[in-house]
Amino acid sequence: MKRFSGFLHVMVVLFCIFAFGACSKKAVPSKGEFGAGAGYGADQAGTGPGGLGLSESQWRELGLNTPAERQEFMQRAQGFENDDVYFSFNGYTLSEEARKTLQVKAEFLKRYAKVKVTVEGHCDERGTAEYNLALGERRATTAYHYLVQLGIPSGSVTMISFGKERPLATGHDETSWGKNRRAHFALNFQ
Amino acid sequence: MRYLWRFLPAAMLILLILAVFGPAMSADAAERVYIDITQPFFQRLPVAVPDLKVLTGGDSQVAKDAAGTLAKDLELSGLFRPLDPSGFLEDPQKMGLTETDINFPSWRRAGADYLARGGYEVSGAHIKMQLRFFDAVTGRLVVGKVYEGDLRDWPAMVHRFADEILMALTGEPGVFGTKIAFVQASGKVKEIYISDFDGSHPVQVTHDNSLDLSPAWSPDGTRIAYTSYREKSPKLFVVNLLDGNSRLLSGSPGLNTTPAWRPGSSELALTRSPDGNPDIYLISSSGAVVQKLVGGPGNDTSPTWSPEGRKLAYVSDETGSPQIYVLDLGSGQKKRISFSGNYNTSPSWSPKGDLIAYCGTSGGHYDIFVVRSDGGGVRQLTHGPGNNEEPSWSPDGRMLAFASTREGHSAIWIMSANGDGARRLTRLPGEQQLPRWSPRFQHRE
Repeated sequence: MKRFSGFLHVMVVLFCIFAFGACSKKAVPSKGEFGAGAGYGADQAGTGPGGLGLSESQWRELGLNTPAERQEFMQRAQGFENDDVYFSFNGYTLSEEARKTLQVKAEFLKRYAKVKVTVEGHCDERGTAEYNLALGERRATTAYHYLVQLGIPSGSVTMISFGKERPLATGHDETSWGKNRRAHFALNFQ
Repeated sequence: MRYLWRFLPAAMLILLILAVFGPAMSADAAERVYIDITQPFFQRLPVAVPDLKVLTGGDSQVAKDAAGTLAKDLELSGLFRPLDPSGFLEDPQKMGLTETDINFPSWRRAGADYLARGGYEVSGAHIKMQLRFFDAVTGRLVVGKVYEGDLRDWPAMVHRFADEILMALTGEPGVFGTKIAFVQASGKVKEIYISDFDGSHPVQVTHDNSLDLSPAWSPDGTRIAYTSYREKSPKLFVVNLLDGNSRLLSGSPGLNTTPAWRPGSSELALTRSPDGNPDIYLISSSGAVVQKLVGGPGNDTSPTWSPEGRKLAYVSDETGSPQIYVLDLGSGQKKRISFSGNYNTSPSWSPKGDLIAYCGTSGGHYDIFVVRSDGGGVRQLTHGPGNNEEPSWSPDGRMLAFASTREGHSAIWIMSANGDGARRLTRLPGEQQLPRWSPRFQHRE
């Protein structure tokens, strides 16, 4: 019994500490914040087009040797990563706008043929976690197939679903939900 | 680390049942009328649970706590209404233990139809507990047991006795020794936890420091399969609860999610997507694919087995929105069984037969529904507030665990199978979701 009551005491203390933290969470406004990169930039090894993640040998691997080339790459890479492809609720087909976005990405990938990309499928917060994992997978797959159709080698692209686990926007309205129903494209370097 | 795995005391402890009291039991069996709590207008049975009597040895705290645990079990069953002990006139340390030395009329006057009475002896780290359950109206013993074992395992003994009480009155044992696995979210990290069926003693099972989801109990209750991103993409792992070791079971490219162990076998159904399209596969205990169970152009996921393991309910969005389907493995026939609303997911098949609980939409929120496996008899069990999702049946088919945001952040709740008596189980910081009720554990006697 002693062991359990000690454990319970710890849980009660923890609960009190977190209860105060939890109170402030309830004041989140309905218009959510957009965390740039939502933290998953840190999850990926070797990303970071801000020039921070790339070593000299990685630059040379990409065939980019002059400061001007590298600067141009970093700018284009930033645009590449910032531009997500969006989907309708429960949907995983590509809109006309989505196709245009993917065409721009395909151009980037053809220009910098050594670069690899991970397509992430995401969902908004509504509905069950498990179905959303499947939906996110399908969104990633759909974007992937279109890139391959546009001539990108399949070996350059990997896919992963995060379901509703890694939202970008934290609000609870359609504006936030729309931002989260996305395929995101994260660059990988060797 | 071994001590962490003592949350399976019922499986590990050795209980000696020295005597079964109640010589009139066999005569009663022929005329036994079981109580059916699902009938309309069922009124909870008032029961008195005074503190246990300390016979020898110290630790009188157990006297109070054991009575409290038994009363809470009986109350959670939906069958009983425990009376307030502050209204009891008799001193539990003085009153008798058996039918010949208990003043039943006095208890009837206090409002009790039933009386639970017990005593115990402690010597060192050892306890011997005798528990009896009486019909206070007739003064007859309904069931009596003696338990012996490690002092720390007294809660398991009380839970076992509560199971026996339910068995005697309803023909089906209770689930008071069972556990509930769930996902505990703290910031970006999600780990698998286990608590007692009443939410007490939560214990962290995984330490992956990653995104862990969808715990699923093996049929013998010794292992939990779950999805983890600890190797970057969603792969299926199995943790052995007896030694804490976890191993990779399925790591195919894409999804390895929503595990469901097949009753009466060592196989699992799960969602895989090696070609990018989520489908439901059957894998062996070594992770090898046995067959694809559900394919097609839509997304298929969230399998749940019928009790005999011959049918599977699952989610498919092949019609454009996620709906519940039933696959008969024998014939290969698939049948859609949900038809209202445009979002029906998270099915859970009752271990006791023909009901499937699932999550559907109602008035802009998510709520729990039940339906027969032929698609008929849809009933809505929750009506808000907040979202109520991810139902999981208790092994006796009498209760459902589910995730609810009715009090803010998502927590695990339980309710009776008819929707009554919803109560909150988890009070941890962060969020709790994806509950999964354990099977009954094997007992060694």
